[in-house]
Amino acid sequence: MDRLTDVFTAVSHPTRRAIIGQLATGPARFTDLAKPFDTALNSVTKHLKLLERAGLIERKKLGREVFISFRGEPLREVADWVHEYEQFWKERLDRFEQHFKDKRKKEKK
Amino acid sequence: MNEPKKNIEVKVERTIPASPGEAFDAWLDPKVPGNPWSMAEKLLLNPQVDGFFYWLMQGTSHYGRFTEVARPGRLQHTWMSRSTSGEESTVIVTFEKKGEDTLMTLVHSGLPDTDGGRGHEKGWNFFLDKFSKKFAAA
Repeated sequence: MDRLTDVFTAVSHPTRRAIIGQLATGPARFTDLAKPFDTALNSVTKHLKLLERAGLIERKKLGREVFISFRGEPLREVADWVHEYEQFWKERLDRFEQHFKDKRKKEKK
Repeated sequence: MNEPKKNIEVKVERTIPASPGEAFDAWLDPKVPGNPWSMAEKLLLNPQVDGFFYWLMQGTSHYGRFTEVARPGRLQHTWMSRSTSGEESTVIVTFEKKGEDTLMTLVHSGLPDTDGGRGHEKGWNFFLDKFSKKFAAA
């Protein structure tokens, strides 16, 4: 899967969005993170793995404890991606570029 | 929300296998696929400084005024549509020689950061609204 798909997958589940919402206030330990959720610990682990794969969280060891923190960068990429004019111009310029590629190919034949 | 409105800038670059002059002319020729004009259901196009365009696509009207037409290097015009919420956005297209090819750069700036501007991904608005602004400096 590509990075964008990973990000969309990661934020497509309400629990994972809630985890992001919680981490947005600051880094947290795994146990603190799992507490508010009425779900098994290994299920929270699975959610964190998907968030980690999308680059939305990172783990840092501080002393003996592991803290999980949020990374905003992949979300900005998504925010950029959904702007309709970005999509629009990319498609236009792809088509425009292809037109000249085809033309040059024909000329070389 | 009381935050000042944020404007979005979209930048797209492509390498076009042609000279800057050829690319420039083709970009303004409605017969060439790829430029926006080629998709028009109705088109009025007067690409000279202070010339206007009217471009109808998928039932949506777009208007603009050419503010710079400097063949072969640079083209600038305004752009208004439903998605710009009545604001005048700006499109700048530059064509730079790059060996045998042309580096084409299109910058569309002054786009309002609204749901309309953000288009179809309604499902993502929850998280975009909440997070993209918040973490803009992350």
